[in-house]
This record gives sequence, C-alpha cells and structure tokens, in this order.
Amino acid sequence: MLTVFRWWPVLAGLLLLAACAEPRQELPVNTRLGGDFTLTDHHGQPFRLADQEGRVVLMFFGYTHCPDICPATLARVSQVYRNLREAGDAEAVQPLFITFDPVRDTPAHLSEYVPWFKANVIGLTGSEAEIRAVAEQYGVVYLQSGDGAAAEYDFTHSDYVYLLDQQGRVRKLYPSDFNIDEVTDDVQSLL
Amino acid sequence: MMYKAFFNGLTGAALLALAGAASADDLVLENAWLRAVPPVSPTMAGYFTLRNDGDRAVELKGARTDIAGGAMLHDTETTEDGQARMVHLSGITLEPGDQATFAPGGKHLMLMKVASIPEAGEEVKICLTFTDHDDLCSDFPVRREAP
Ligand SMILES: [Cu+2]
Repeated sequence: MLTVFRWWPVLAGLLLLAACAEPRQELPVNTRLGGDFTLTDHHGQPFRLADQEGRVVLMFFGYTHCPDICPATLARVSQVYRNLREAGDAEAVQPLFITFDPVRDTPAHLSEYVPWFKANVIGLTGSEAEIRAVAEQYGVVYLQSGDGAAAEYDFTHSDYVYLLDQQGRVRKLYPSDFNIDEVTDDVQSLL
Repeated sequence: MMYKAFFNGLTGAALLALAGAASADDLVLENAWLRAVPPVSPTMAGYFTLRNDGDRAVELKGARTDIAGGAMLHDTETTEDGQARMVHLSGITLEPGDQATFAPGGKHLMLMKVASIPEAGEEVKICLTFTDHDDLCSDFPVRREAP
C-alpha cells in the first residue's frame, strides 16, 4: 500500500506523458464533399482553389449584409488565423469567405469588408451560377428570402466551416459557433 | 422646463453610469452591446438581456436609434440540417419574472440602413420600445467580441 502511494506521482506522470505523446487521431478525408473551383477574389482576380495547394484552407459561406452569424463566424475564423500566425504558421493557412450574394457582394464591396478582420481573409464572389455550383460541391444549401427588388433580402443558409487539407480535400466540418482552440489544433495536426 | 430637462438628464446619467445597462422601475436591461462590423456594412446586430421585475406583463416591440434607418427584433433559427435563417419577431411578451436573452446566433436587435457604422469602443444610444411601457434607453458599447 505504502509502496503504491510512494510510486503514485511517478505513475501519474508517466500516464500524463503517455497521453501527450499519443499520436492524434488523423482526420478522415470526406470523400462526399469538395472539389476544385474557380471564383473571383476581392481584388477582382480569378481565384482557383487548386492554387492553394500546400496550404490548409478554412472556408465558409455567408454574405456581408448578414449582421449576426456571418461577422461572428468571420471573427472566429480570424481568431484561429491569428493564433496560427502567433505560432508562426500563417503562411501555411488560408481563410476563405465565399458570398451567396454576388449582387451586393461585388469584389469592390468585399475588398472593403474582409480586410477589416485583419486575418488575410480572401473574399470570393462570382456569377450566381458559379457560386451555386461551388455550394453544391460542398453540400451548402441556400435560399434567398425577402424581397430582392427592395434590396432588403436575406439568405437562409447552411453555416458550416470547412477545413481543407493541403490537397484541397475536406477533412472536417464545424458548426459556425465552433471552438477556436479545436479548429486551431486541427489545422496544426495537418501541418 | 430647462431645469427639469437637466435634472432628468442627470438622473439618466447616473442610471447609465455603467454602459450597456439601464433600468426602469420594473425593467432591467443588462449586457447590452453591438457587434463591431466593417464600416462598409449596412446592418448591425445588438444583444442584451431584459428582465421584467415588475408585477405586470410587458411586450417588447422594437427599438429606435439615431444611427439606423430601422430596427427590428430578429431571431436566427437553426434547423436540424444546419440551415440558419433570420425571422422577424413582431413582439416578445415578458411576464413578471421573465427574462429575454438576445445573444449571437439567436435573438438579436437588427439595425438596418445604418448610415455610419460606429467603431469598436464607441457607444450608441438605443431605446427599446414597448406596448404600454415607456421606452428604455441605454448606451450600447460597440465590441468585437461578446462581453
Ligand atoms: Cu437579423
């Protein structure tokens, strides 16, 4: 009994070491979603996902006229980016924001919107058909509601955040209120 | 008249010493804030908790503020398949003892046609409006994150 007590701190220490050293569960590749696409970035230049090869991508869809979830999600993704930048991993990760709303979210509008988050976010837009196609690739559903003619309309939309690996494969989906540390850790597990 | 206005102002200032809070005799407003958004945004969302400490029901109907062309009570509903959508709430009834929580991803005060987006650190006077109750005004601090 005494012996056990004496050795207990050592045992506990060893267990702790073992837990830390245990390799992380590798994130499975999602084969149902994803794929390459080309849209237009907030500088008005063509943006092809495949050109991000070698970088981990954090991607999500939204629109800038959305005041509640979209800026909150952008702020959280930006925080993940800043955490990674502090860890020296900024070059290895790219946040992307794809709009559902190309009519209002032009490259010019996005160029005034995304830099505010100070996280190197690339804003992406395109024709309605182009955006619809990308959304379908990623299993995103969205529907315009309200009166488009009145310029006061919203979108009902899926609000997942996608983690893509260096080959552009979907590795994980998060809800928009994801845990910042979890996503930061997941990105680093891919680096 | 001048004197009364000044006196009211003084009482108001004392009540509002803590930004983001206000109370009438029966209604208590706490944790009020506006989410900071890029200056190019046309809309902003506001959050708060409102408690009815009185002995009669009140109905929150909306809000007004000089910075916005319109303000509405909205809710963000998320369906089981992860679809989020905003819906307009025509009013929220608070029975005695009830509390309404407006928080990110759920109920929010939606400010529309905001002419000039305030920056983080600024404060914006917003008055909540009710049926059969005086407006309840408070200075909402603009913040990048929830308090
Ligand atoms: Cu809203």
